[in-house]
Amino acid sequence: MTTLHRTLIAAALLAGLVATSRPAAARDPVADDFRQSCSSCHTIGGGRLTGPDLKGVGERRDPEWLIRFVLDPGAVIDAGDPTALELLATHNNVRMPAVAGMTRARAEALLALVARESQLDKSQFQGLAMSTRPFTPADVARGRELFLGTASLANGGGSCMSCHACGQLPLAGGGRLGPDLTKVFERYADRKTLGAWLSAPATPTMAPTFRDRPLEVETEVLPLVAFFEHASRTAQEEQGRTPLTLFFLLSAACTGALLALGGRVWGRRFRAVRRPLVRAASWSGRGRGPAPSERSSS
Amino acid sequence: MDVRSQISMVFHLDKCIGCHTCSIACKNVWTDRKGTEYMWWNNVETKPGTGFPTKWEDQREYRGGWELDEDGNLRLKSTSRARIVPNIFHNPHMPSMDDYYEPWTYKYEDLFNAPEGDDQPTAIPISKVTGNPMSIEAGPNWDDDLGGSPVYAANDPNLEGLTPQEREQLFAIERLVFFYFPRICNHCLNPSCVASCPSGALYKRGEDGIVLIDQKVCRAWRSCVAACPYKKTYFNWQTGKSEKCILCFPRLETGQAPACFHSCVGRIRYLGVMLYDAERIEEVAKLPPEQMIEAQRDMLLDPNDPDVIRQARANGVHDSVIEAAQRSPVYQFVKLWKIALPPHIEWRTLPMLFYVPPLLPVMSRREGETIASTTDSFFHPVEQARAPMSYLASLLGGGNTGHVTYALRKQMAVRLYRRSRTVGDVDEAVLADVLREADTTEAECEAIYRLTALCTFDERFVIPPAHREEAIEMMKEPHEHRQSAGFGFLAGPRRGS
Repeated sequence: MTTLHRTLIAAALLAGLVATSRPAAARDPVADDFRQSCSSCHTIGGGRLTGPDLKGVGERRDPEWLIRFVLDPGAVIDAGDPTALELLATHNNVRMPAVAGMTRARAEALLALVARESQLDKSQFQGLAMSTRPFTPADVARGRELFLGTASLANGGGSCMSCHACGQLPLAGGGRLGPDLTKVFERYADRKTLGAWLSAPATPTMAPTFRDRPLEVETEVLPLVAFFEHASRTAQEEQGRTPLTLFFLLSAACTGALLALGGRVWGRRFRAVRRPLVRAASWSGRGRGPAPSERSSS
Repeated sequence: MDVRSQISMVFHLDKCIGCHTCSIACKNVWTDRKGTEYMWWNNVETKPGTGFPTKWEDQREYRGGWELDEDGNLRLKSTSRARIVPNIFHNPHMPSMDDYYEPWTYKYEDLFNAPEGDDQPTAIPISKVTGNPMSIEAGPNWDDDLGGSPVYAANDPNLEGLTPQEREQLFAIERLVFFYFPRICNHCLNPSCVASCPSGALYKRGEDGIVLIDQKVCRAWRSCVAACPYKKTYFNWQTGKSEKCILCFPRLETGQAPACFHSCVGRIRYLGVMLYDAERIEEVAKLPPEQMIEAQRDMLLDPNDPDVIRQARANGVHDSVIEAAQRSPVYQFVKLWKIALPPHIEWRTLPMLFYVPPLLPVMSRREGETIASTTDSFFHPVEQARAPMSYLASLLGGGNTGHVTYALRKQMAVRLYRRSRTVGDVDEAVLADVLREADTTEAECEAIYRLTALCTFDERFVIPPAHREEAIEMMKEPHEHRQSAGFGFLAGPRRGS
């Protein structure tokens, strides 16, 4: 699939979902925006996730710099801004993605919300309240079912496998639209960060899909994180046997089977008459004078 | 009774000297165009041998001719309604170019243009298909001198029924046997090539039974190439049309013998018209092979029978054609004397070219200072002929040795009869015994002798008037045709039209 295709599909999904999601976002649009666009990586007073804790960020940084960064983080980093580069270095080299449809007004509103929430003792964006109990095999199994789509998501979101591969999956593996999630747990380093991401995925493709169909924290996010943790652990044990190699092995086996079938069906077809005669005679006539083809002819 | 007329042929194999004059006459008249270089509408094979194309008689390979299905109905071996769709772009059982041969010429200009050097310049072979230098691996008569090599002669499909002793004897040095087998299209009564054509380009002419391919209708399916068990239709790779022996119909229509007949040095060829009962074609073609020769002979009608004449006239056969049928040499060889036999009738196409089986000379060889012979008498018994009866029966008898033995015994009786007349050293009682055994009479022997040895041009070729005016009359007004024929443009056949 070309990039153009992906963009078109994403745009189509986006347009459709935005159109249907308008009435739902009525309470506090700015808070909802933060929840959907920022909370997957940032908390306010809840500690660092993928990105830094934003409590009091308005005091730490120049407001104009903040707006520039929120509008297009990539451009600021590429411009060699020292603050941005330092942040990049301290945050595992993860670049903040540009939020789709970000405008100056929206950035100002969001920063105002961060400033307001920073004043509170207990902000509503302190991070995901997910239980910290150890994962059980039942969690992993449930997570696998959710990933494969054999168990459907409560709020009607699409199964992960439609777009993602992860470890060893049955048949041809997962979709290839999104990245392979085998090592996603390692990349995010802990369950809290990954859980926060899952509760409000922020990429241009996932955000519109899951905006109105969020995952349930205890019954869906937690098992999925458990599944990803398990996948990342087992992948290290079974390195080298990715679904792609399985795919090629399967293709080779099918090709072989088809060739064998073709050979059986057409193996005795008419090929030639004269050449085999000559060949057979030259073999049986070895050592008894010149080969027939060397004799004089009429 | 549905009486029709058919131009029919007899080749007398005892007279064929294998000079290939017929093949060259045909090639020069018809197949020296581009795309037809490899075609031999007339070819002469040495038997035992694999012939042209290689092993054409092996229908397990080529699947030509007819077979009977479970219900006893005739069906083509090469194709069927179910098989034509998956094989629509390619007939699977066709001879390849290698099974014919890649036609070639030599780069003669090299003989004149080569720079002066220590070596004699040579003309290298050049493919007439690609124009590139090639190495010659096969030809239409490849490696078949004196009974051929172990490659070609030993693989003759007719040898399959022979015992190992018979085979060994056939190829033993100074004993080996061979004879020549000239072949043209048989213009069959039940032609499988006509039946197989998806375009309907092949047809059997109503007035004389000549099988032709309409070059304007042919669409290069090549079904006829696969279906003809004698491999006598050929694909012209230049025009994209199939072609075959046309029995020189433009010559026949003007009262001349076909080119191969006319040029035959050994005068082995006879041509005449036969009346036959078309109603019985299917019935005869379905019979077991050992009964088919008799049944086909039975299907050919006596042109002197008043009932046959009446029916023929009712069917529009012209009186002059009936008169020609009464003088037909083919009628005498096939129907009266029963010494001419159809080749491979077991393929159920009912060929109308008949062969008089060859009576090879007595076997003798040098042993020290003397000549050893297998027999004491001057004429040996037919059973001791050098070509095994089962071999000839496979080729000409539909697997039935009786017909071949009968024909050879009668020919032997003719020789004995002639010896008694010219030399006079044959006991009359012995002669009478031999004649009775051979189912013949002195009068018949005399007639066979005359038509075999003293035949004139007009006795060999009794060509009926073509009566084109009658054929034209069926399609359009003859006067209108006369005014329009021969005026306009001629376009040769080419691909796509």
